[in-house]
Amino acid sequence: MEKLKTPNFMQLTITNLNKTYSNGVQALQNVNLTINQGMFGLLGPNGAGKSSLMRTIATLQEADTGTITLGDINVLTQKEEVRKTLGYLPQEFGVYPKVDAVTLLNHLAVLKGITNSKERKELVESLLQKTNLWEARKKNLGGYSGGMKQRFGIAQALLANPKLIIVDEPTAGLDPAERNRFLNLLSELGENTIVILSTHIVEDVKELCQDMAVFNKGQVLYKGNPFDAIQEIEGKIWRKRIQKAELADYKKNFTLISDKLIGGSPVIHVLADSNPDGTFDAVNGDLEDVYFAKIFANA
Amino acid sequence: MFLEILRFEFSYRKNRAATYLYFLILFILCFAAATSKYVTIGGSGGGQLQANSPYSLSFMTIIMTFAVTFISSAVMGVAVLRDFEHKTESLMFTTTMSKFDYLMGRFWGSFFVMVLIYSSIWIAFMLGFSLGKFLPWDPSWKEKTMHVFDAWHYFQPFIFYGITNLFIQATIYFAAGTLSRKPLLIYTQGIILFVLYEITGTITQDLENKDLASLVDPFAIRTFQIYTQYWTPAQKNNLLIPLEGMMLWNRVLWCGIGFIILAITYYAFSFNVVTSSWFKNKKKKVVKDVAPTIKPENVVIPLVHQFTNFSANLTQLWQQSVFYAKMVVKEIPFIAIVFVGFADLTINSFYFGEMYGTSSYPITANVLGFLSEFDLFFLIIVVFYSGELIWRERTVNINLIIDALPVPDWVGLLSKFIGLIFIYIALLLGLIFFGVCVQVAHGYFNFELPLYFETLFTDELIFLVAFTLLSFFIQTIANNKLVGFALMFVFFIINMFMSGAGIEHPLFSFNSGSLGGYSDMNKYGHFVSSFSWMKLYWLAFVGILFITSVLLSVRGTESLMKTRLKIGQLRLSKPILTLAISTLVVFISTGFYVYYNTNKLNKYITKEDQEKLQVDYEKTLKKQFDNAPQPRIVDVNLKVEVYPEERDFTAEGYFWLKNKTTKVLSDILIQNDILHNMKIEYLKFEGGSKVKKAYDNFGFTIYQLSKPLAIGDSVKMSFKTKFETKGFVASGSNTNVVYNGTFFNNNYFPSLGYSEDFEIGDDDTRKKYKLPEKERMMEQNNPIGLSQSLFGDDSDYIRFEMVIGTSKDQTAIAPGYLQKTWEEQNRKYFHYKMDVPMVNFYSIISAKYEIKRDKWKNVNLEIYYNKGHEYNLEKMISSMKSSFDYFDKNFAPYQYRQMRIMEFPRYASFAQSFANTVPFSEGIGFIQKINDPEKDLDMPFYVTAHELGHQWWGHQVAEARVKGNAMLSETQAQYSALMVMKHAIKPELMQKFLKYELDKYLTGRARESKKEQPLALVESQGYIHYNKGSLVMFALQDYIGEDKVNKALQDFLADWKYPSSDGKYKRYPTSQDLLKYFKAETPDSLKYILKDMFETITLFENKTDKVSYKVLPNKTYEVSIKAISEKFRADSSGNEKPISLNDWIDVGVYGEDKDGKDKLLYIQKYKVAKKDNTFKIIVKEKPKKAGIDPINKLIDRHSDDNVKTAVLEENL
Repeated sequence: MEKLKTPNFMQLTITNLNKTYSNGVQALQNVNLTINQGMFGLLGPNGAGKSSLMRTIATLQEADTGTITLGDINVLTQKEEVRKTLGYLPQEFGVYPKVDAVTLLNHLAVLKGITNSKERKELVESLLQKTNLWEARKKNLGGYSGGMKQRFGIAQALLANPKLIIVDEPTAGLDPAERNRFLNLLSELGENTIVILSTHIVEDVKELCQDMAVFNKGQVLYKGNPFDAIQEIEGKIWRKRIQKAELADYKKNFTLISDKLIGGSPVIHVLADSNPDGTFDAVNGDLEDVYFAKIFANA
Repeated sequence: MFLEILRFEFSYRKNRAATYLYFLILFILCFAAATSKYVTIGGSGGGQLQANSPYSLSFMTIIMTFAVTFISSAVMGVAVLRDFEHKTESLMFTTTMSKFDYLMGRFWGSFFVMVLIYSSIWIAFMLGFSLGKFLPWDPSWKEKTMHVFDAWHYFQPFIFYGITNLFIQATIYFAAGTLSRKPLLIYTQGIILFVLYEITGTITQDLENKDLASLVDPFAIRTFQIYTQYWTPAQKNNLLIPLEGMMLWNRVLWCGIGFIILAITYYAFSFNVVTSSWFKNKKKKVVKDVAPTIKPENVVIPLVHQFTNFSANLTQLWQQSVFYAKMVVKEIPFIAIVFVGFADLTINSFYFGEMYGTSSYPITANVLGFLSEFDLFFLIIVVFYSGELIWRERTVNINLIIDALPVPDWVGLLSKFIGLIFIYIALLLGLIFFGVCVQVAHGYFNFELPLYFETLFTDELIFLVAFTLLSFFIQTIANNKLVGFALMFVFFIINMFMSGAGIEHPLFSFNSGSLGGYSDMNKYGHFVSSFSWMKLYWLAFVGILFITSVLLSVRGTESLMKTRLKIGQLRLSKPILTLAISTLVVFISTGFYVYYNTNKLNKYITKEDQEKLQVDYEKTLKKQFDNAPQPRIVDVNLKVEVYPEERDFTAEGYFWLKNKTTKVLSDILIQNDILHNMKIEYLKFEGGSKVKKAYDNFGFTIYQLSKPLAIGDSVKMSFKTKFETKGFVASGSNTNVVYNGTFFNNNYFPSLGYSEDFEIGDDDTRKKYKLPEKERMMEQNNPIGLSQSLFGDDSDYIRFEMVIGTSKDQTAIAPGYLQKTWEEQNRKYFHYKMDVPMVNFYSIISAKYEIKRDKWKNVNLEIYYNKGHEYNLEKMISSMKSSFDYFDKNFAPYQYRQMRIMEFPRYASFAQSFANTVPFSEGIGFIQKINDPEKDLDMPFYVTAHELGHQWWGHQVAEARVKGNAMLSETQAQYSALMVMKHAIKPELMQKFLKYELDKYLTGRARESKKEQPLALVESQGYIHYNKGSLVMFALQDYIGEDKVNKALQDFLADWKYPSSDGKYKRYPTSQDLLKYFKAETPDSLKYILKDMFETITLFENKTDKVSYKVLPNKTYEVSIKAISEKFRADSSGNEKPISLNDWIDVGVYGEDKDGKDKLLYIQKYKVAKKDNTFKIIVKEKPKKAGIDPINKLIDRHSDDNVKTAVLEENL
């Protein structure tokens, strides 16, 4: 079965997906999502179930009930088919320490099915250049820094022009410059690929994604366009600088969605339809407020 | 702080389930060993040795420290490693504690825990031996004699040898774990210890190396064995092994090494957070992230073709396999294991096939046997690296990336398997290369490469495949690497005890099937077919395991068995299902085929069934028929048709039976040879007979003659009996009737009367079946024993004639002279006839032979040998000639006109003397190599002389079948050979030979399971009639003179030639008869030595304390020798009591010859009547050393301390 990647329309549909681990933790509760081509952001705190969902889509984990389809592929049973079009970067991963980057990437390329050695060589080289590992390509991966390793992870996820790319917390551990470069790379991948990006950093989603979902405790709290989300909370976010000692009181009395120390004293954001007690200032809510609003309002 | 850490370590272990598990495993193992017969530790106990004797307890305690290495490595190795693995080292090291406190706290804390775990051993032994008799599972317990309880017997070995061993192991594992921080490297240390132990085993084959071996063994097992090698059962039952001599030095050395290792660990350990390990490259390069020269933004990722078809999968499989193979090869522990394995082989190659300190030629078959020592290392590699590879991705945490790749499930596991196979093949090729190097190093150039491949790439490779796939399966199912390793270990343990528990069938014994040892004559012979079927069966079995592993292997994050079973169903694609079903079909059908062969075509008998049959036989028949009067065979005339290709033969003809009893006989008792499944086609007596009663399960039939046999009358018994090979058997495949090298004797033919030999002989087994203990031989005054020879009660001497037919390309040989040979129906026939009386013991031999001929006087000498085995023919011929010269002159004329030696396959290693015919195993003599005639004993020469001696001792005079019988045949054959050797080789070599004989005698008596007998009452105890016999006879001819001994033998032979129940004496001779002749030749002053040597067990302790000399004015030297002599008498268990001395003992002085070698200057017998003696001797040359009994003529357990170096006395 030979397949030259040609753009064709695809959609990932997740329907009523449930997963409970053997220790009783409900990782996924009735998740329903439709993900179109383009960048899709999964936002949520640690332990929200983002990774569980991504592993399930990446054929690495089973679901208790529910279905996932990619185009006309049943992801849960036709795993081989999914894997052919998949590029996956797990949240935490290691490498064989005594192997250099070219060798391992070439090896992985063979396993991806790129058996034409000339094509493979070109691809591997371009990916190493793309991820800025070209200079270090002959060095053992054991000596790579966290950022370099992460870039290697991205390189391998892009092997064989995948149509479904899943990147789990890709920006964790990257310095700001690397992060920028990486996000640029992701955005370059074009419109005809589904890219699912999980993160707990709101900025990532804001900058890149046409679509997003907010996740907590295995549930989808929000799905939609980031701008719609911001619009939804417009005029509902109120800010106030308070004393540290007052924080507990405010938490009790208001729908407090975030508190940040600015110059040593807390600045709080509160979700309310109108100025709660008149002492708050109105602010333009951003995605971060959406995120916290979704999480804390539903807590 | 130190105590704090110690306490922390202790409480950490205290809360770990593993600690209790270790304790429990050891406890159960030891408790089972103490209370059941299925589990034994080190195989001690049984016979005269009490199960809870101090010796057994010590031995088991020491052996257990050996087994404990696994646990030590787990506990000690990770004491520090743990902090790094859990990444808590930075927490640890930033506290205020010192490096000393940290390391020593960890070490001693863990060590203390180890001691507690190891205490399970003495607790289990104590409980086991006190409760044993109340437990239901071994009923024979009540019959056992036990040693009275003494707590010190449990604690002494535990403290002196157990804890010290633990300490040594502890330091090594602790150091390896702390400095390398690699778990696998910890295990490698255990392997090195084990190899040291192995090596000591190899080097002790040379008697000179025993002290070295005692020191080098880190476990002190070899030290223990060497220290107690000559301990009699009585000593073993009563004495503790004291911490002295070599036992002490070994402990001092190794505990010292332990402390040094601990000190090195302390200094080498860097107490900071940077986890620089000793074994890793210290300046591990951190790769610099260089600014790009290419702008990543401008790089375009090209579109590529993706292939996921089968041929792409094969490419992926190949790529992965090579990748894994390379990965393993780069592992330091792997390199270490291989290195140690080859180092072990290298050391062992110096001691190639030793026998009395002489080596065998490194023929390929021998080299292959020697290379199999690498199996242990293979097994370690199989277990560790199959585990490592299965866990490889998960260990480095790349598993999610790899698992999400579009590769079929089977590729992952199969590539790991093939990767390992690549490594195995490389190692096997390495072994072949090594084998060839060993051959070259020994100056042997006939490499037989096909044989190397034929063996290693079948048997060995299948062994590796089977265990690798088993380990894959276990690792997959267990889904935890360490549990997987532990389960493999449990599997090996179960395997070991399975046959003890009665599960013996090859269908249940993992990877069963054997090529049965290679013979240059018969190649792998008939073993090939059973081997192939068994291996096919097991390959199918592991194939099924492998498919199951593929279906259930973890891909992704799901590790629950329930989920894996669900995923497994998804993976069961059509091709995999087809493969699984066809493998299953192969497995089941080969299983049935094997079963059909082992249980249907052949009778399958377990060891226990066999024993029960023997018990039944004894209980049913003994009372009625044992020693029932029967006629004797006086004439044998048979036609034997051997079909080597089919491995069948028939024998048809007649025996003449003569009634030599004093009664008329009408019942003839015929025993068929059921052990070899012989089928008697017909058996009839001239004049008619009927079957009175038949015990078919015993093959025992009573024929009633129509016309009773009158006293002195004879009857002709005609019969045809058949041996047929059908398919293959479960175990114990017949190696007598083979494609090339058939050798069997008249045991296969019908015999007369009840066969006592079929009874169970071993007293421990007899106890199990509630049978009374059995005497090994009849008393010397038993008329029944006196009326029959060692060849049995079937006959005295016979007339013999035989025609043998065989394949056209083979030569068939039986005793007697070849009358005629002809071809008929494409077969070859040989007609043999003997013209003088011979004993009823004859061999039938058929093989493809080359012949070497020679002549001694009018005697034709012939050696029938396998082409290529020409090495020692000249030596054998020269031995034959020297032997005939000596025996003919000193004993009696040779009774035949020919002597033939014929080689037979090495399935057995002996030579045996038949009338003018000596079958001689290819394994001994034919491929023996005498490197240096100055230093090495000429074994082919000696064995030939011994067997020729039997033509007189055994064939001219057959002895009565009573106690002491072998002193007339075996001991005299030894003496004959010794005398031939004495005149042919240097005295130093003679002394070397006798030293081995002394060692063998002393070791033999230490292992005596029933009772040690004096030589004159020996009961088929090889260590007495061969080894002690040699020593005694050599001493006798030294004391009374060679002439006198020969005169006695000559007279004895003249009087007793061809004895018979109806001959001159109406009986056969005993050792007492021969002793009379010796006595007649012994002067009164020396008569006591006959008592010491033949009639009692007498031992000496001769020791030279000090030797000094001074130069006398007339240029002579006065040597003064201070010596101690003691004499002991031992009973049958080895209890000794000192007896008074009044003995003639040699005192000798050595000088130096031109080449700097020892030269005997003076040797003279002195009357020694007290313990301490000083001898003053004047010699003409400068003395080098001197001592008492310097050439070890007397039996002495410390033969090395008889001679001391002479020192010049200070002139006062």
